[in-house]
Amino acid sequence: MMADTLSLSFFQGATDNLFQNMYAESDQLSTFGIYIDKNFSGLSLFTEGNYSYLYKNTNLSYYTQDLGVNTLYTVSEKSAFYFSLAGRGAFYQADYADFNYLSINFFGAFKTYLSQTSIMKSNYSFEYKNFRSSVFDHTSHSLMLSLDKYFQTKTTLKGEIGWGYKNFLHPYLSEEPMDTETNSPSSGGKGKHNPYRGGLNQFIIQTQSKGQGLQVFSLSGLIAQGLGSRIGLQLTGTRQWSLSGKNPFTFIEEFYAVENPSYDRFSWKGFRIGAQLAVLIPWNIQLKLRYTMDNKKFPGIYSSSLEGDSLGILRNDKRRQPEMSIEKNFSKFSVSLSYFYVDNDSNDPLFNWNGHFFSAGIQWNTSCGERK
Amino acid sequence: MKRLPLWGLALFLFFSTIFSYGQKKEHYYNVDKEVTVKGTIKEIKMEPLYKNTSPFLIIILKENKTETIFNVEISPVWFFDHDFHQGEYLVVKGSLYTSEENVQNIIAREVQFSGQTLLLRDKHGFPNWRGGKGQMTRKGKRKRDFS
Repeated sequence: MMADTLSLSFFQGATDNLFQNMYAESDQLSTFGIYIDKNFSGLSLFTEGNYSYLYKNTNLSYYTQDLGVNTLYTVSEKSAFYFSLAGRGAFYQADYADFNYLSINFFGAFKTYLSQTSIMKSNYSFEYKNFRSSVFDHTSHSLMLSLDKYFQTKTTLKGEIGWGYKNFLHPYLSEEPMDTETNSPSSGGKGKHNPYRGGLNQFIIQTQSKGQGLQVFSLSGLIAQGLGSRIGLQLTGTRQWSLSGKNPFTFIEEFYAVENPSYDRFSWKGFRIGAQLAVLIPWNIQLKLRYTMDNKKFPGIYSSSLEGDSLGILRNDKRRQPEMSIEKNFSKFSVSLSYFYVDNDSNDPLFNWNGHFFSAGIQWNTSCGERK
Repeated sequence: MKRLPLWGLALFLFFSTIFSYGQKKEHYYNVDKEVTVKGTIKEIKMEPLYKNTSPFLIIILKENKTETIFNVEISPVWFFDHDFHQGEYLVVKGSLYTSEENVQNIIAREVQFSGQTLLLRDKHGFPNWRGGKGQMTRKGKRKRDFS
């Protein structure tokens, strides 16, 4: 059975702050990917595998595999549904094996043209993730509704509301605080993962009954201005509120390259604003310049000193992120380069950090289907 | 070799006609008929174009210079990824063909708008879009981008 699409990719990344904290540590990452899909009567089967190798912290290297099916169903000339059902497996090396998971995700979306200049979109997503370390097992639901309007001045206005609920299935293992072995130091020589705060780097599960669910609500806005076909400007803003629940862990952190179940879009409240300039420069190279500012508070998470003593204040991160990327599409492949800088100002001293991030990639696509 | 009896031929033609009723004639990307058109979107719609594929996003484009109307076949998937509106300015590169109804059609290979380029097909006309995961990308920021 021949595939319709085969895509191969290679990305090379480098950073001077792999663990995204004040003890900056550099590393490089190579990612190899393969994607295949096959269409049958409007249904599309797809699978994608990615292997990521880290040079200094080899014990963080990992493999992910996705497998799914999706379809597009039109109701009329102006409206369509999209459905997707997909599974994923993520497999980390020994040090991160507790983050290994299997997941299933359902995604349903509806898009309709209310008029030729106004679009309404909505979607629903459900996900179940089963981790090797069961404290992270969770389900999540997300709903989104957006409405936009395009004006003859080439301006687009868009508003969006979002709701999300994430339920940790069994985050409390006992009445006493307990450590998971999740963040044990890696054995990559210099690359010990987060060996800070005198060894208090494990996820400590809260024993107080804070509730197992995190519920958030968000409002977003976008203003986009097109200047011919070669220049586009965009301003975005999002405000997110925490409706109920608190993070069930004593602290949370972002991990580079590791999907951390303690730090995601359900874990914070606050706002994000951003600006983007997209330009088609000579040779049809796409240049994007972005600037993003975040201000996030994490319900249930209190800042600590570097020694691990609680400071009694809710953790608050303020982040600024300038970014530049270029991409050139050739007939069969595309190449891209990107750079961004992050300055994260946190009231938790461990997470007062900045870092430079580079990546370069090439993606080769081939279609084995018909040319029609 | 036995010859196909006349009644058999008649039956074949009859069923061929029945089963092909309502299906549009399929067109193939002709690299010798590539054109570039700069124009403004007049209308957007979804239409079933080809057998065994999702319906296509069709953009009715009015060329700015000549005011000629073109039906531009985008792809089955971009309907969800990119929000086009009436009045937007596009530069479309693709293969031109004229339908039986004398309508000017373009099978789009590349679309430029607001500082972005969609590369829909390679230079031979083979689709670049992904039938699966690429449609409603859950990608966001890719992990490999250190975010």
